[in-house]
Amino acid sequence: MKQFKIFFAVAVLILALAPVGAQDVTTVSMWFSEGSTLDCWGPLMLEFNEVDPSIQLEIVPQADTWNVTRTAVAGGGGPDIVRTPGPSFVYEMAQAGLILPMDAFADEMGWGDFFFDWALDLGLVDGQLYSLSDELETLVMYYNVEVFEEHGWTPPDTMDELNALAEEVEAAGLTVFSHGNASWRPTNEHFVGEYWTQVAGPHKVYQALSGEIPWTDESLVEAIELLDAHMQAGWYGGGVDLYFTNDGVYRRTSLAEGSAAMNIEGSWAIRGTVDYFGESGQTWDWVPVPSHDGTDYFTIGMGNTSSINANSPHPEAAAQFLTWYFSPETQGKMLTNCLKGPAPVAIGEDVLGALDPRIARIYAALSDASANDRYGYTTWTFWPPKSDVYIYEEIERVWTGEITAMEYSQGLQELFAEELEAGDIPPIPTR
Amino acid sequence: MAVLTQKKPTTILEKLNDETWRRKFLRNVIIPWIFIAPLLLLHIYVVTIPAVQGIYMSMTDWKGVGQNANFVGLDNYRELFFEDETFGKALGNNIIWMIFFLTVPFILALFAATMLSQIKRGGMVYRSILFIPYVLASVVTITIWKNLLNPQRGVGAALAEMGIQGFDIAYLGRPETALMSIAFIDNWHFWGFLMILFLAAMQSIPPVLYDAAKIDGANRWDEFRHVTLPGIRPVVLFMFMMVAIWSFLAFDYIFLSTQGGPGGASEVIATLLYKNAFFRFEAGYGAAMGVVISIFAGFIIMIFVTLRRRGWDI
Repeated sequence: MKQFKIFFAVAVLILALAPVGAQDVTTVSMWFSEGSTLDCWGPLMLEFNEVDPSIQLEIVPQADTWNVTRTAVAGGGGPDIVRTPGPSFVYEMAQAGLILPMDAFADEMGWGDFFFDWALDLGLVDGQLYSLSDELETLVMYYNVEVFEEHGWTPPDTMDELNALAEEVEAAGLTVFSHGNASWRPTNEHFVGEYWTQVAGPHKVYQALSGEIPWTDESLVEAIELLDAHMQAGWYGGGVDLYFTNDGVYRRTSLAEGSAAMNIEGSWAIRGTVDYFGESGQTWDWVPVPSHDGTDYFTIGMGNTSSINANSPHPEAAAQFLTWYFSPETQGKMLTNCLKGPAPVAIGEDVLGALDPRIARIYAALSDASANDRYGYTTWTFWPPKSDVYIYEEIERVWTGEITAMEYSQGLQELFAEELEAGDIPPIPTR
Repeated sequence: MAVLTQKKPTTILEKLNDETWRRKFLRNVIIPWIFIAPLLLLHIYVVTIPAVQGIYMSMTDWKGVGQNANFVGLDNYRELFFEDETFGKALGNNIIWMIFFLTVPFILALFAATMLSQIKRGGMVYRSILFIPYVLASVVTITIWKNLLNPQRGVGAALAEMGIQGFDIAYLGRPETALMSIAFIDNWHFWGFLMILFLAAMQSIPPVLYDAAKIDGANRWDEFRHVTLPGIRPVVLFMFMMVAIWSFLAFDYIFLSTQGGPGGASEVIATLLYKNAFFRFEAGYGAAMGVVISIFAGFIIMIFVTLRRRGWDI
């Protein structure tokens, strides 16, 4: 009888307390890819739980986050915060009514105060804000300082200087660019986008993206021809066939150990570069990717976006988390601690000052370029999905000699025109 | 003398009133259906309904996100067969893949099984060694072989260091060798499974048939042709059918090694389907490719069913 009384008392207590707990705490869920990124980002993001105990962030690790997320969201479930791989993916979800417009939250929570204007525009679909861009990216040319010093080379500013330098690098028995796509085939598109920007110029690319000129424009085709010529010359990884079999480890080690001189890669590669050079004991640095006329152009890209699930039972709480997450303070902390590409928000100079000066210089240069009309466009952020896949898949047919640069450009033009007509082009910052 | 005869029920009413008939009906019809019902319902839910939906989706412009799917009739199929060059190329690669897998692993497996069937002691060790690759995960197999075939750190590079030149080439990086290199890797993992099946079938052949063949003066080749092959023919032909069907489903080894590259040289229908559905947001078009794969599989099954009806021992 005594045992029964104790059991009864405990049961009543649990029943009495449970609803109180459930009412007081709102859980905001977020799905995130498993791995080293989450290991570093996770604890920092969970610091949000100390800000307001009534809203708790729950991070659920997933193996294939994007595909799992879109399947779940389409089925009426999924996390409160929906992360996509880029603005072009947001368009489809917004059209399907799977994510919420966030204009009211933006006004209420002052997102415009810390986001760059053009960055908020990237999240617009039919004039409404559906996503916030994260992980600002650009591509630069990393190089091995010891290798350059040993041979008395200076980093090139122009394509002509790059040509001259590449001959010397090859004569020294080194690979010009430590590259390959065996680990990530869309790597191809990095070079297509860079050559368009650096050879034809970002204004031409903007005109083509806006549909004012075709992708078969002489200067754009010339860029593809030049890329192909460099590929055929074996600059990328030592040869076309080797490029197709070189993996990410090769890319990092060959540059860090000095068997390759340079590497055109994204700002997202900083962390790997720091680690591999740390192991080899050599020194890295970077310069802007050489351009035709020597102007420092920087392509802008976004690694992913965040939106609020239309099925979220508490979008207000999700918006509060986004406000905290995208604040310059949180972004600065994640940049400093994890070398995470920051969201396009105004990060304080004190934060950049605490970084390795080479890393801080990348973001300062990118900021300067975007303020002075020297920014370009990364293909995965500003091209519609079909054209984007075409860009990195079909360029291989140019490199293997199956089609010409002009045929490649004609194919892209046909596909792009279809997507342009269908209105599938992601928002492009106007110049 | 009176003869007791029981009148057989003929009408539904008579049958329902007949106790024996009711019991038989319950035992032979109702109970088996009750036993199979859970599985059947599950099958309808996870296979039949999605399959029907897939066929419908193949006639829409569904993007794979949301519910917005417009009916486009047979447009996707028209584009597949008359406009999309990459599909034709992928189909061609599937056929090359099928020819490879209907010959190389079968020859290897038949040869190895014949040899192993002669081994009286220690045969299990050989069988296990040859079967181990089959139980390795595809991602493990691909990682091993990508390193072994790497021209800078693989077997070719090691041979080159020993002075044997010509093997340090990028097998997976050349359009002319990529597909066959992946087929080689997949076969390395697969043929041991085939060998075990054939060996099991060979061991079920009565030894007396071999003794009779020997008495008739048969040599080892004659024994293989006239005793072993007829004895294992049902297994060989069944596996022929399965391998032909599996050839159109080839995906993981290709996607993990080259993702269909370089330049589409190793593209097959399944990799193309995946890219269309998940990268290009053309899920309806991808569904049409899926239906085409199913039609090919159905066609292969039909051939075997026809042969069986004509008396083939399959």
